[in-house]
Amino acid sequence: MKKTLAIFVVLLLALGFCFAQGATEDTYPNKTINLTVPYGAGGTTDLTARALANAMGEKLGTTINVVNTPGAGGSAGSLNVQNAKVDGYTMLANGMLAFTTMPINGYTDKTYRDWDIWIATFAPNAIIVPKNSPYNTIEDLIHAIQQNPGKITAGTAGIGSGGHFGAEVMKAIAGAPYKHITYAGGAPALTATLAGEVDFCPQLLAEYKDLIISGDVKCLATLSDTDIELAPGVVVKSILHSYPEAKKFVPMGEVTGILIPKGMSEANLEKIDAAFNYAVKDQAFLDFAALKSFSVIPKDRAESQKFLDSFASKACYLMYDAGAVTIDPAKFGITR
Amino acid sequence: MVLQYLTEAVFTVLSPLNLLVLTLAVGSGLIMGMLPGLSATMAIALLTGLTYNFPTQTALISLLGVYVGSISGGCQSAILLNIPGTPASAATAMDGFPMAKKGDGGHAIFIATTASMLGTLLSVIFVLTLTPFLTSMALKFASWEFFLLSIFGIMICGALTSAGNALKGWISGILGLLVAMIGLDTVDTFARFSFGNVNLMSNIQLIPVMIGLFGFPEIVRAFKKENEGSPIKVSKFQPKRGFRSVFHNWLAIIRSSLIGVMVGIIPGVGEDTGGWLSYWASKSQSKNPESFGEGNELGVISAEAGNNACIGGALIPVLSLAVPGSAPAAVLLAAFLMHGYRPGPLLMTESPSFIYSVSIYIIAASLAMWLLAMIIARGTVRILGIKKKLLMPIIFLLCVIGSYLINYNRFDVKVMFVFGLIGLALSSADFPAAPFLLGVILGPMADSNLRRGLRLSDGSFLPMFQRPICIFFLIIIIGMIFTQLGVFSKLKKARS
Repeated sequence: MKKTLAIFVVLLLALGFCFAQGATEDTYPNKTINLTVPYGAGGTTDLTARALANAMGEKLGTTINVVNTPGAGGSAGSLNVQNAKVDGYTMLANGMLAFTTMPINGYTDKTYRDWDIWIATFAPNAIIVPKNSPYNTIEDLIHAIQQNPGKITAGTAGIGSGGHFGAEVMKAIAGAPYKHITYAGGAPALTATLAGEVDFCPQLLAEYKDLIISGDVKCLATLSDTDIELAPGVVVKSILHSYPEAKKFVPMGEVTGILIPKGMSEANLEKIDAAFNYAVKDQAFLDFAALKSFSVIPKDRAESQKFLDSFASKACYLMYDAGAVTIDPAKFGITR
Repeated sequence: MVLQYLTEAVFTVLSPLNLLVLTLAVGSGLIMGMLPGLSATMAIALLTGLTYNFPTQTALISLLGVYVGSISGGCQSAILLNIPGTPASAATAMDGFPMAKKGDGGHAIFIATTASMLGTLLSVIFVLTLTPFLTSMALKFASWEFFLLSIFGIMICGALTSAGNALKGWISGILGLLVAMIGLDTVDTFARFSFGNVNLMSNIQLIPVMIGLFGFPEIVRAFKKENEGSPIKVSKFQPKRGFRSVFHNWLAIIRSSLIGVMVGIIPGVGEDTGGWLSYWASKSQSKNPESFGEGNELGVISAEAGNNACIGGALIPVLSLAVPGSAPAAVLLAAFLMHGYRPGPLLMTESPSFIYSVSIYIIAASLAMWLLAMIIARGTVRILGIKKKLLMPIIFLLCVIGSYLINYNRFDVKVMFVFGLIGLALSSADFPAAPFLLGVILGPMADSNLRRGLRLSDGSFLPMFQRPICIFFLIIIIGMIFTQLGVFSKLKKARS
């Protein structure tokens, strides 16, 4: 028995040494990179991150590990990366809706301007209703919201989620409030829509693409500025056909990308630039995007900042005007 | 056509590489399941990243193998140490540990493992035959049903685990519910009881709570009294006796598997609840319910068949709706997507062979699990023969490492410590720990669904009394409260 114990202790010590191995400073990257996804495995952000991580790792000549740190609506993982050492070995993959609204939620004082960002994909919202719903067109639903202010229920993945933004666009078009019912994530919100517990679901099109094709839910409109063909013969209409005045809100949806807090050397950033440009042309990544009906909209660091100037303004003021947050975006230099 | 898919899948499994992968996956799953702190969810999540570049079928085999292995492995530590390896096997400890104390540890592991295998196999049959029907059942569950189901689970667990005094079990369950209220709530994202602490804001992690509640009291007990810490006689495996026990209880196995599948299908409730519900069903059907908790074979069999049957159940909504029924199934869904499959309504038209290969892989995994668990158990039963004072420090080390590994966060180790002290206080005052754990597991579900239901109904409780499934739960819950508090027998006495 003593022998077994001794072996066990030796093994434990050996394990400890494995973890204690320090990396020597050399050319970047010389060890595994951790890519933090601040949500659980299997979500849209997670799958996008994994597809990107695989291709970027190939180009960088290292492995990019995806680490899921869910909690606090994605802010826990994002703050972890923000507080970690800026050495290029800790990256973040996040959706820009949650990310750009972190300051006005009171989670941090830093904004998207304090990060280097590479935007990869855009996924539009889509408004769906249960199969047996009385609403057959987007006009039906908007009229219903106008006629019963505060009574029509919208099931979303929570405050500040992609679905919440979609619902706020509906409210802006209708000029009347809806009743916000929040779920623990996109999947439970979708189940509730299938079960008919809520009147409509304004989450991302990618989350229920297959159910629209199979006819298990009815899709009334997408908040993209163009029509989207999901499958031969299954076309989802843009909301602009019925409500051209929605122009200032669309395209509304989730934008996903890779983020690193500012502070890395330009030489190393250029290596990541190259890896990113390689990854967004990678066939496996493009296949994944097509499967999910994402548009691949690669933007480099400068373009991303420019894009986010208007995106963050749209997202923050939608939340602020809806009364979902009380901190004025202007406090962080985010203007209308 | 179906036959062709099935035979194809069988041949895929039988290729040497896949057999090796299956053995490794099931084996490591079993060991991860056995170690408290390494749960099924984590085992699959770890493997998902590793299998990214595997051939698709091999990846599927390894993922399903780890899932089956880790859900089944938890029973061994529950039986031998009274510390469940995964939250799913907490119900197994109820009768498994008393059996081990009587010197029947080997027999208990044998029947638990066999029941696990049979539960998994039966659940696969449901996957193959009843997927469309069962999917529509899952959609009958809305906010009010979820709320009552979670309350029902905690009430049952409380009544089962407290010897004689159900109130103590329920108090423990309610304490667990209170702990679940800490952190950001899922309805309004409001931080509750977190005092500005970021770690508390992201909710109390389940695994450190489990390790603390169950591990600590056992460790302390080993040092408290001389006779408690002494080694227990190790019984030999008696396959004949084991098979006879399992065969005699065939009805309980089928009943537990049915319950397990149903619990598995319902999104959000999984293996942890499945074990308790089937244990409860067997106890209330039994002629001598007082023998449960004292080392009844039927208790072990029901709990293990029930929690393993959740595997098939949890996969049904993944395959038909792409909505997972349990936490490990959610990770599995991600893995399927990663390997290019699109579970959901289009699965049958796009990749019709998928559901059959998955079924065959689960069957293969459960058979491999049975064989490997038997081999591993020959070694693990010897743990009973080790002096507790030598064993427990190692267990303690594993507890600390296990808590840390969940999120690589030292705060979780502190959580484990705090709940260890709570666990000690509970056990010395004869409050069972299992309802506390289930309260923490089901608390967020009870809380958010009650409030969601109230928001949908504009604050009215009326819908709770108008929905058929709700009425069913309400009747059982109220009936259980009355019988446990002895209201019926008092009424009888008053009348006579």
